[in-house]
Order: sequence, then C-alpha cells, then structure tokens
Amino acid sequence: MMRSGLIGAVIAREWRTRVFKRSFLIGTLLMPFLAVGLLAGTILLTQATDTTNVVLVEDAPGLISRIDQASGQLVPLCPGCFPERDKLSYRFTREAPADSIWLEEGYTVLVEYDGSVLQNRAGYLVYDKSPGSAAKRNIERDLSKAMEHARVLESTELDWQAYQRLKFELKLIDREANDDGARLDGGGEEIRGSIGFLFSALLFLVLAVYGGMILRSVVEEKSNRVVEVLISAVRPEELLLGKVIGMGAVALTQLVAWSVLSTLAFSAFQFAFDSGALGSTIPGQGEVPTDLLTAMAENDLTAILLDINWGLMVISTIGYFIGGYLLYGSIYAAVGGSVQSEQEGQAMVVPVIMPLMFAYIVGSGAIANPEMGALTWLSWFPLTSPVIMLVRVAVGVAWWEVALSWALLMVSARLVLALAGRAYRHGVLHTGKSSGWSLLFQWIRGHGS
Amino acid sequence: MTTALSIAQLEKSYGTQRVLNGVSFDVPQGSIVGLLGPNGAGKSTLIRSIMGIVEPDAGHIHLEGQPWSREAVRGIGYLPEERGLYKDMRVGEQAVYFARLKGMAKADAVHALRLWFEKLEVEGWWDKKVSDISKGMAQKIQFICTVVHNPGLLILDEPLSGFDPINARSIIDAVRSLASEGTSILLSTHDMPSVERLCDEVVMLDRGKVVLSGGANALREEGWSGQQDVVFKGNHIAFTNALGALGHLDSISEEAAGGQHRAHVRLREGVPPSQLLQALSGAVEVSEFVKIRPTMESLFIQAVDRTAVESSEV
Repeated sequence: MMRSGLIGAVIAREWRTRVFKRSFLIGTLLMPFLAVGLLAGTILLTQATDTTNVVLVEDAPGLISRIDQASGQLVPLCPGCFPERDKLSYRFTREAPADSIWLEEGYTVLVEYDGSVLQNRAGYLVYDKSPGSAAKRNIERDLSKAMEHARVLESTELDWQAYQRLKFELKLIDREANDDGARLDGGGEEIRGSIGFLFSALLFLVLAVYGGMILRSVVEEKSNRVVEVLISAVRPEELLLGKVIGMGAVALTQLVAWSVLSTLAFSAFQFAFDSGALGSTIPGQGEVPTDLLTAMAENDLTAILLDINWGLMVISTIGYFIGGYLLYGSIYAAVGGSVQSEQEGQAMVVPVIMPLMFAYIVGSGAIANPEMGALTWLSWFPLTSPVIMLVRVAVGVAWWEVALSWALLMVSARLVLALAGRAYRHGVLHTGKSSGWSLLFQWIRGHGS
Repeated sequence: MTTALSIAQLEKSYGTQRVLNGVSFDVPQGSIVGLLGPNGAGKSTLIRSIMGIVEPDAGHIHLEGQPWSREAVRGIGYLPEERGLYKDMRVGEQAVYFARLKGMAKADAVHALRLWFEKLEVEGWWDKKVSDISKGMAQKIQFICTVVHNPGLLILDEPLSGFDPINARSIIDAVRSLASEGTSILLSTHDMPSVERLCDEVVMLDRGKVVLSGGANALREEGWSGQQDVVFKGNHIAFTNALGALGHLDSISEEAAGGQHRAHVRLREGVPPSQLLQALSGAVEVSEFVKIRPTMESLFIQAVDRTAVESSEV
C-alpha cells in the first residue's frame, strides 16, 4: 500500500525546488504578458496601419461615373455600388494628374483602367504606401460592382434593378445531422480544428518538456547518489509517483498561472483599450473601434481567439494533460532510471515520443479535415488521445467518446505507472554500463539486479 | 539480550553468481558490530537486503526481534557508501526533507537538526546551498541526515571515507556517543583502525560467507600467536638464558638510553605469559611486558587467505 505522507513529501520537494527557481518564476510571469503583448501589438499595429484611404478613380472611358450637373463634379453612375465606409472614400476623374500632384492633393491610391477593362477585367492600383489588403479587397469589390452595373447597362436590355432582382446567389448553411433527428448548427470546422490543434500543440510541448524534466531529475538523483538514501525510506514506486505528480503539479502551476495572469493582462489591456487610453497614442490612425472585442473580430488573426470555447478547452486540456502526463511521465522516469546520462536517456525516449509526434502531425493535418476517420481511433488510443482528442473536442464530439477516451487513458496510465515502477525499482540502483530497452523490459518482467 | 538485527541463512544470487551464501549473524542491542570483507565480499548486497533495496532469495531478517517489514526498515538510519545530496537545495531544507521521509514532523525535525548541526559544528551552513559547501562538510550533513530521527539501528557503510582526521574523529565520537545511548550500529568499513577503536564485535565476509565473527577483543585474543614485547634493563645474555625453552627470541635492540633493551619474543604454544615474566624477573629488571595481539587487519588478511586456500582445495 502506498504511503501518502511520504509521497506528499516527495511531491512537495519536487514542486518547491522548481517553482521557486528564478528561471521558473521569470518564465511563468513573463509568458502571459508576452502573449497579451503580442495580441495588443497585433491589434494596435493593425489599427495604426489601417489609415483612411481616399481613392482617385481615373475613369477615362466614363464607364462608371457621370458629371453631376449641379456640382459639375464626376459622381458614380451607381451610387449604391460605393457604400459608405469608415476609412474609404472615392473621387472620380477622367484624367489623373501626375503622381506627385494627386499624392499632394491628399489622395492615397489611384485606380487606372482603360476601355478594355470590361473585357480583360484588369486595371492598376497605384500608391505610395500600400493601402493594406483589407482596403484593396474593398476597392476591388466596389469597383467590380460598378463595372457589373456598367456591363448591365451596356449589354442587356435589363435595367440595373431588374438585374439585381434576377441575380441569384445560393448560400448554404451548415447543419449537422444526428441519429435522434435533431440537427445542430454546423460549419466552421476548419477554424475550430485550428483552435483544437493550438491546444494539442501546447499539450504536446508541455508533455515533451516536462517529461524531459522527469528524465533529467531521475538521472540526476542517480548520478549524485541521493537515490539510495531515498530508497531506504521510500519505496521506488512511491518515489516514482511522487516525482511524476510533483513535476506534473509544477506544470499545472505554470498552466494555471499562465491562465490567471493572461486573463488579468488581457483585462487590463481591454480596459485601457476600451477607455480610449491607448487610442491617442497611435499615430496616423483614423476612426478606431472603441471596443477591443470588435477590433479583435475585425482582424483575421485575432478573430480566431473569439471563437474559442475557453472553458471547455481549458478543462479538456487539463484533463488530458493529467492522463497524458501520468502515462508519458512514468515512461520517462523508467527510462531515466535505466540510463547513466541524460543524453543516453534522450536517445532512448525517441521511440516513446514517436506516437506523440505522430499524433501531433496527424493533428496538424486535421486542421484541413477535422472529421477524418482516423482521428476517431487515434483519439481513443491512449498514446495519441491526449493530443488528438483536443482537436475533436474543439470541433465537437459526443461526450461519451471523451469519457471513454479519458477512461482508457487513465487506466493505461495506471498500468504503465505500475510497470514503470518495477523497472524504476531495478533501474535506479543500476550503475552498470549496460542499458537499453531489453534491460528495461527484463526489469519490468521482474528479473534483474 | 535482545538483538537489534538478526540475520539467518541469507542467500542471494545474481544469475549464476552467488553473492550471499548462508550469511548469519546478530547485532546485539547497543553494540557496534563491524562488517568487514574485501571488495566483492557481499557487504553491500547484505546491507541492501537489510534495507529492502535488494530482495534476498532465501533466509530471514529480524529487526528488534520482529520479522523484517518495510515500516521497520524506515526506522533504520542508513548511510550508504555511495551517497549524495541535491545540489540545488539548501542544506537545512534538504536535511528537513530527509527527516520527513523518515517520519518526523517538520518542527521536530528542525529542532533535532539544529542540535546535531551544533554538535558537529556546521550550524553556519544551514542556509547554504549544497553546491557551495565542501565535500567533507557534505559528508557531515549526510551523517546528520542519517541519525537525526534517533534510529534504534544504524547502518553505516564506509562512514569515514572522504573525511580528514579531524572530522573523522568528530564522526567517531558521535558514533560512540550514539552507541553509549543505546543505538545499535552495523559498521561496514575497510578502515581497520576505526574497527579496532569502535567495534564490540566483528563479522568478516568473504565470497558471500561469514569467515570470522565474534567479539573484537576475543578474536584478537584468539588470534594471539604468543608474541610479546619486553623492555628490560640488564644483560641481554642473561635475558636469553632466562627465556630458554619458553619461547623464541625474534629480535632484541642494542642498549638504548638508560641502559634499556627492547626484545620481541614468541612464546611456545601452551606457555602462559606469566610463566615467562616470572622467569625473566629473576635475571633482568623488566620495566614493560606487553602482549602483542594481532591487528584486525592481520586477522582480516589471514581469514581471507584461509578462505582462498579452502576454495582452491574444493
């Protein structure tokens, strides 16, 4: 029977010696601020570069503009084709002046085309500084609609309103079919798959890094000869469990600290952004959304963050971290006990982390096709489920599958922990030159020194 | 008298190699027993079997009269030959950790450790990192970690290795003091002078077998081969004549300061030293008459040589 008091003492030592290390504290404190800083940088930089564009359209063939009799100015033939936009406005001319002149007059972009534009569908976008991809998309969209208007007028007997009525665009809305006949909102699998993969990648990284730390710690205890003193007071299995849990607690501490600090840092940034405190510091900006969440939604890079079901993903990540960590951490510890140096151990764990790496690669492929069949099996297989199931959780999966997969993972972890304990028991006191998987399996079978 | 540790017919093999071959001995309560043997004799395997690190193939171990149990082992103070400390921990924090693994409450551990740190004059090192202290200092800390929980049985494997003579003396004093307070001690060492100074009994192992065991004084007495040192004043021819057929004169020194001679003689078998002293006293003036008993080292070598001969004959 395991003695919880002793295991607790081992856990406390592993936790204290690592959590109170300067490198851990710096890494834990800095990371959330770096992450939120990166987000803030992305938003603010986007806002800063998202300047107002005044577009001069050189409509030489007179396809989309006409002279307004009242003002004597050129105005669009189809005013509805140029909706009012915050940072985009148009002026029309039949002949543009030299570049230096229109630039000096305050225009930021010049659009040029000739009479063949309706056939070859191409023109030029001239600028001194790029208007940005979003502005370019809007200019293309507006001018295409105006050209379409021109073609309708030129080549058919229909008027524009009639054409608009006849024009047909089919929109397909995703719905997922269920056995019970209920249909759920679907779609967005790729985005959700990407989100799941982000968490999978994080888990892969944490499992690999902290597994490596267990290995290093076991090798260190062997090389500095502490282990024999420990083994006289604590059973090898208890020591192994204490180590794995202690190191896992360090990882959880870091994950929880990152979550809390990131939330605090994000809230602080949101408060500063929403209150306008940051707005005035951005040079050259026009109208900026006063709401951070709106600003994030308008940015392709940050919009994905708003799609994450943070509660579900964080709970799933922690659940699969616990199972995956017990499983892989035990193997790392057993390997650490069987080798004499960290380098030797790193070479030996390569086949161990292969399933994890395979899962990571499959997980990255699942972004494009998050519902491929192999994912189901891999999300139940304990060696790959910690990484794969997170992708499926993000996309959407039946609860019983998650429960089954997690139960299989925990049962396997318990089994591996017991086997690793056997190998560890023999291994930690083994100081011979020989090592390797055959020796490890020999110890697992109960043979050896 | 109850025994702190009783080993009976212990067997252990690694593959075809038999490392322990029917080892039996006792460690009486409050005594210091020296465990001697050449490298590879099976000492470490024996100790590891007692500590439950290695599982013996056969035989019995009793602790305090009770069959071996993991919980009883936890009460033993064990200083292994290959020992170390966590380099990235502070000395005091680490000592408390080891004490807690031995079942002590934190407050009790800190109190007991402070006393031991003071006793071994390392109190200034409590907050130092292990990586900042000398090897000798680390050895002292390891010794303290071994004894802090006031164990009834102490197993020390080469406790003096790595110590300078001054620090070795402080450890020897500490071991003596523990024994006088009733702690039973099994001391495995190659350091014969420390065995002679400390041990009440010795057990000599060779090739997995006990080749010699018993009280340290009794063994030396048994191993006495009639050698005697005599310091006398007078004519050395008179001395030789008085020795006569009682023994053989190995050597005699020239006349030294004060007209004294030192002679080394070997008595014939069955001749008691008192008979020689009586014979010499009538011929010369005897100022010193010392029985030369064998050292533990010579007993050790003799026992090992004897086993080697016996095994070659088999």
